[in-house]
Amino acid sequence: MTGSMFDRILRIDVGKRQSSLWTVPDEVRAYLGGLGYGVKILSDEVDPRGDPLSPDNKLLLTVGPLTGTSAPMHAQTCLVTKSPLTGTILNSYAGGFLGPEIKFCGLDGIVVEGAAEEWTLLLIDDETVRFEPAEAIVGKTTEEAEAYLKATYGADYRTMSIGPAGERAVAMAGAFSETRAFGRGGAGAVLGSKRIKAIGVRGSCGVATADPEAFRMLVAETMGVLRSARADEFGLLGIFSKYGTGGGMPLVDGRGALPTKNHTYGSFEGVDRIDGPFYEENLYTRRIACFGCPVHCGRLHRFAGTDGRALWGRGPEYETMFAFGSNLLNGDADALAEANRLAELYGVDSLTTGVTIAWALEMAEAGKLSEPGLDLRFGDADAVLGLLHRICTREGIGDMLARGPREAALELGNDSIGSAMQVKNAGFAAWMPRRMKGTGLAYATSNRGACHKRAPIGAEISGALDMDSYEGKAAVLIEVQNTVNAIFTLVSCRFHEFVTDHDVYPELVAAASGCKVSWDEMAALGERIWNLEKLFNLKAGLTRDDDVLPAKCLEPVLGESSQSAVIEADRFEEMLDEYYSLRGWDAEGIPRDEKLEELGIAAYTLGSRATREAGATEEESG
Amino acid sequence: MGLVVDVGSCTECKRCMIACSLVRSGSVRLGSSRIEIQPDWPELPEIRVCRFEDCEGHPCVGSCPASAIGESDGLILIDAEGCIGCGACEAVCPYDAIRIQEEKALKCDLCGGDPACVVECVTGALRDGEVAE
Repeated sequence: MTGSMFDRILRIDVGKRQSSLWTVPDEVRAYLGGLGYGVKILSDEVDPRGDPLSPDNKLLLTVGPLTGTSAPMHAQTCLVTKSPLTGTILNSYAGGFLGPEIKFCGLDGIVVEGAAEEWTLLLIDDETVRFEPAEAIVGKTTEEAEAYLKATYGADYRTMSIGPAGERAVAMAGAFSETRAFGRGGAGAVLGSKRIKAIGVRGSCGVATADPEAFRMLVAETMGVLRSARADEFGLLGIFSKYGTGGGMPLVDGRGALPTKNHTYGSFEGVDRIDGPFYEENLYTRRIACFGCPVHCGRLHRFAGTDGRALWGRGPEYETMFAFGSNLLNGDADALAEANRLAELYGVDSLTTGVTIAWALEMAEAGKLSEPGLDLRFGDADAVLGLLHRICTREGIGDMLARGPREAALELGNDSIGSAMQVKNAGFAAWMPRRMKGTGLAYATSNRGACHKRAPIGAEISGALDMDSYEGKAAVLIEVQNTVNAIFTLVSCRFHEFVTDHDVYPELVAAASGCKVSWDEMAALGERIWNLEKLFNLKAGLTRDDDVLPAKCLEPVLGESSQSAVIEADRFEEMLDEYYSLRGWDAEGIPRDEKLEELGIAAYTLGSRATREAGATEEESG
Repeated sequence: MGLVVDVGSCTECKRCMIACSLVRSGSVRLGSSRIEIQPDWPELPEIRVCRFEDCEGHPCVGSCPASAIGESDGLILIDAEGCIGCGACEAVCPYDAIRIQEEKALKCDLCGGDPACVVECVTGALRDGEVAE
């Protein structure tokens, strides 16, 4: 019986210019794929205390048992590495076509380690790797790197590339894969540290399934559900299908939860000039889907640049509409599109970059920060674009901002840290924790910093859960975190789970790969992975003090619809205590040995506190 | 009988190619698909597939030195046994819909009249010719 998993991972050492095929051992196979493989392998092979930009860090691209099959909404690739932005273990995702192409190479993943001496292109054809020179495109944009690779080596390569920001180790540099991006966490800087300018992947293998007839029936059923969902104009997938991910922006604004002016307000008067419906009517030109996806939330658009030129770009997505829009008081869709385009060409995550710019503008308006040649004010497109250029080239004030919002604030000092809207140096996503207490807890406890992918956003924004209440949120959040980690072992799109009965996942997995697993086992795996990530972060030196929201969250949100919402420090701490306790962790957020035994990962324990402290002292004196 | 192609509705999801390759090879292997979506961002993609009745003059038929292409049950089809793999049809096809693989010309045969790709297309970029008329 041939299933959808190849049990082969390609290992590439760019320093030694060598590659080898690695047969996935049973203890790794138990993690199903995707995020599970990434977290397990990184935990086993990378020192959590190591420098993320050193050759010792590894970067993993992993896919799962449904990738490259006909199952819709399994186009994404999971990227795992140690993040230079947060210092934590990172998982970041890009849709498009890269993941299926990795599968078409007959692989379940790629592990990149070492560092090249010269700038390099990695070309992967099935299990063969070529190391080609990249001098010709050093300093060039993500788009130019992609075009060069395709023109020189073949248009049928699926690619990922970095821009000048990744080359210069900007902490929020992303890796860009054609129309999609690995945005969160600075993976572009990790690739840059390895002097990998771009990767091309081209496969010739077919992806089969263990039980083709059962799989065909399940896919037909799933497609039926998705067809209904995309046609439902009031459902989220219907809205994304029709307007892109920015289609929900008016709803968030109406609930007073749209971060505006660096999270000072919860609604933006210019929202209807930058949201999904506005773009759909005025700028979007095309709907673009990931591999095999009927929802097609992606968009291409045309816009007028500030210099009058006619330009085009991908997206923008909802998170960018907030990060370069409402949060900067920017109600100009063209200026927003230009910032989005610049971020894409330079190769930075629009989200944390936008959050960093918002902080800088607030500091400038408070008289704490200035930059020659720029009038740093909210709502000023030139200020936004100017800061974006400086961050990506690390010129002037940009060098400080390029380290991320927390690090920039620590450098500036002067009571500025409380206004840096971040957790673990990763920017807040487009949802206000003061208005959505469970989402606040999600930001604080996320293993990758201020993450919205594993938050009870749907329940809070829809009103199914009282958004302002702290009650019961810890338990709800834990279930969401475990569930999302479970589906990320399949590298399912986050949106897929909105309309999918959880029991469908094990059925799809069994028919595709032949692997028998129940949903309860998958959810337990999600919890195991969450704990492994947490342990990695604790070993990296993070503590309870890193699970904290910035001080600005203790002040009321301004604007009528936000109802003066605040985070009450003592209530929040109680909620965090409850969260740790329900997780089976001690008051410092350290997983108890009983919990690790229950999850089958006792070997990863931090040991007793005394042992840890002795170890730390030894480390310092040694 | 044929395919109605509306390129303006195509989102490049490639479900058509996935479905076609499953019919051809039993696995998802896009290279075996008889329809190809070729992106050209930010422009519309090219949809490379036989247009059957909508193709004016069927230049492939006349180009074939082995007379291996002809109409059968209302469909323009290639007779694999007769095909000598010369590539003449590939060269004249106005839709880039024919490929030579292992010395045989390959193109869409509309799955004999019940195309697997059409079922998968949610946006209506591909529709059944008869339904549309």
